[in-house]
Amino acid sequence: MSTYVYGIAASSHPALPEGMGGVGDPPRPVRILREGDLAAVVSEAPEGLRPKRRDLLAHQNVLSEAGAAGCVLPMRFGSVAPDDNSITGVLAERAEHYKERLRALDGRVEYNVKANHVEEAVLHQVMAESPDIRGLAEANRQAGGGSYDDKIRLGELVAAAVKAKEGDDAAALQRLLEPAADDVSVGPESTGWLANVSFLVDRGSAETFLAAVEQARMDMPHLEVRVNGPLPPYSFVEPGPAEPAGTAAGGTDTGAG
Amino acid sequence: MTVVPAQQTGGGGGSSGLYDVLELVLDRGLVIDAFVRVSLVGIEILKIDVRVVVASVDTYLRFAEACNRLDLEAGPRKDPGLPDLVGEMTESGARGKSKGALSGAAETISDAFKQARDEGSERETESRPRARKSTSARRKEEQE
Repeated sequence: MSTYVYGIAASSHPALPEGMGGVGDPPRPVRILREGDLAAVVSEAPEGLRPKRRDLLAHQNVLSEAGAAGCVLPMRFGSVAPDDNSITGVLAERAEHYKERLRALDGRVEYNVKANHVEEAVLHQVMAESPDIRGLAEANRQAGGGSYDDKIRLGELVAAAVKAKEGDDAAALQRLLEPAADDVSVGPESTGWLANVSFLVDRGSAETFLAAVEQARMDMPHLEVRVNGPLPPYSFVEPGPAEPAGTAAGGTDTGAG
Repeated sequence: MTVVPAQQTGGGGGSSGLYDVLELVLDRGLVIDAFVRVSLVGIEILKIDVRVVVASVDTYLRFAEACNRLDLEAGPRKDPGLPDLVGEMTESGARGKSKGALSGAAETISDAFKQARDEGSERETESRPRARKSTSARRKEEQE
């Protein structure tokens, strides 16, 4: 029977969520495997497990329950070991490494920040700053919208200007929030957001960080800023062999577009 | 969903919040090479799909239309047509993701994201195993 792994914690963790419902339908009960100073949060792995909404949520809920009471190294969704023994084997073999990571992340949580432009606000900025775009838009408007080619020409100019603003605003947002965090991890680019940055924050400083987010929202009203946290430190566990390039911790400009 | 006062965004239980967290669950976290990962192929495809950033003719036309509608005399937040506009943009983005999926697994994830957003907008009525609300979600509820 294969075993699903949620995360790794210290065996001294005060409240691992033993018995809680995990992945699968019906939810498989969470079990704790202990090996020396370490513990693995696991359950039976259901046959044919796929990344369905219910199972992704179960994974996150188990980890957030475990993370609420103490430090846990969250696994990426979908890690399955052939049996319990192979998990305790890994814990024994790499004990020093995981213990070091648990010490480094102890008392810290992840806040993920994503931002989008408020489209009308950024279009206003783009038009206010570019006489060319303004002129072309006005000409199109007077021509009842303009020809297909006119629209494409205008749209292309606007898209380029908006894209440039996305990069600038992502960098500016990160600069505003960095001072309130211990570490920064820039997430993958996507069309869904202009900034996707995770911040490692000391639990005791969470209010300071959230205050910095509020300040950023006031300073940059043309951005919609979404914050999720506190979360287990998904983005601050060591990059594994399957970690895509560019998602490791680093304070560089996201360049998100 | 987009144009809302600042204090109403970003809750851990909000619709976009759930979507944003699922992205982390799939894309970050510890990977141990001794363990296998389920449906890895589908997840990789989704990641590639999500990262494609295309300035397309559709985008150009949409911006041109938006500029055409924009009332430069009004303040940047005064146009009542804006929520529709942004809503359309979000919709087309979601469709683009599922359209580009190349396997059943990828579609499963896209559906998961879509369902997550749909469910989130219904205030997550489905029972969840000992769901823990973030502080920001609690603050949000207190303000409502």
